[in-house]
Amino acid sequence: MQKKVLSEQALYYGDVAMPKDWDIDRDKLSGDILQSVIQNKDFPFSKTWDILNTYMRDHVGLEYGVNLVNKKTWGNIYKPAETTIPLLNIDPVDLCNSPDFTLLYGVKVKDCMVRIHYEDNRRKGRSWDIPLKNNMFIMFPSTNMYYITNNQKDSLNFVQTITYEYI
Amino acid sequence: MAHFAKLGSNGKVIQVLTMDNDKMLNADGVEDELVGQQWLETHNNWPAQMWIQTSYNTSSNQHKNGGTPFRGNYAGIGYEWDEDNQIFWPKKPYASWVKNTTTAGWDSPIGDAPALTAEQESQNTADTHTWVYEWNEANQSWDLTDLKA
Repeated sequence: MQKKVLSEQALYYGDVAMPKDWDIDRDKLSGDILQSVIQNKDFPFSKTWDILNTYMRDHVGLEYGVNLVNKKTWGNIYKPAETTIPLLNIDPVDLCNSPDFTLLYGVKVKDCMVRIHYEDNRRKGRSWDIPLKNNMFIMFPSTNMYYITNNQKDSLNFVQTITYEYI
Repeated sequence: MAHFAKLGSNGKVIQVLTMDNDKMLNADGVEDELVGQQWLETHNNWPAQMWIQTSYNTSSNQHKNGGTPFRGNYAGIGYEWDEDNQIFWPKKPYASWVKNTTTAGWDSPIGDAPALTAEQESQNTADTHTWVYEWNEANQSWDLTDLKA
């Protein structure tokens, strides 16, 4: 008897473990997110963002052999007690130009929860909850719908999103 | 061209980059690894000490062109940097294998595979068989196998 896995829905998550004294400058990222949201402009390229992005591409490539190419990036601010609308980063009528993976990075977050929806063949409507913490990333297939919830009532949550396709 | 391996926090090679030799010249016009490391830190946003120079022409602690081997092997993604022995180690093929710092490679605990007999060699040449010794980790032995069988 043999088994063949035709497709899988892999989720990658963990901390961004930078070398000593080279931590991601999350103040810089949150400032850039604030600026881009207030001014309604694209998220600006910065050395800090590049360090984060390179770390992700290098380490996912090293550990799992997945070579990532950038698609888009943006930052979001979530108000206290806010739950987003269902988020989906693919365009169902333009899958060719849609990303393969969505990466969420906790820039400045507190009590932030991500709920990722998936289907397990006949078992539809399943979900997996994972807390997003500061300096932590979660990467999952962009075909999965997700929600982000700010579970506390005191502060804003800053989350960076980067989408990738793999080659 | 000079080559530098980018190390992760666990000493594993994440990436190997090529750079112009003139980017690593010191004030005296001599190639200096420290200068190259500093250049890479500035332009590639990764700490200088985590860029280690590697030799494209070195493999199994031998230089392809007869020169002096440098750091055991040309680094590849997933290789491990051994600072004490100054060697880039490829992935360990089997759990029981041990490092050989002379060849910068991994050896089985019972040594190399036995040589094929003259008859086996001639059968391989005639393409009637493909005799090879394969490592059997469970039995800790070299097993003779005919790949054509």
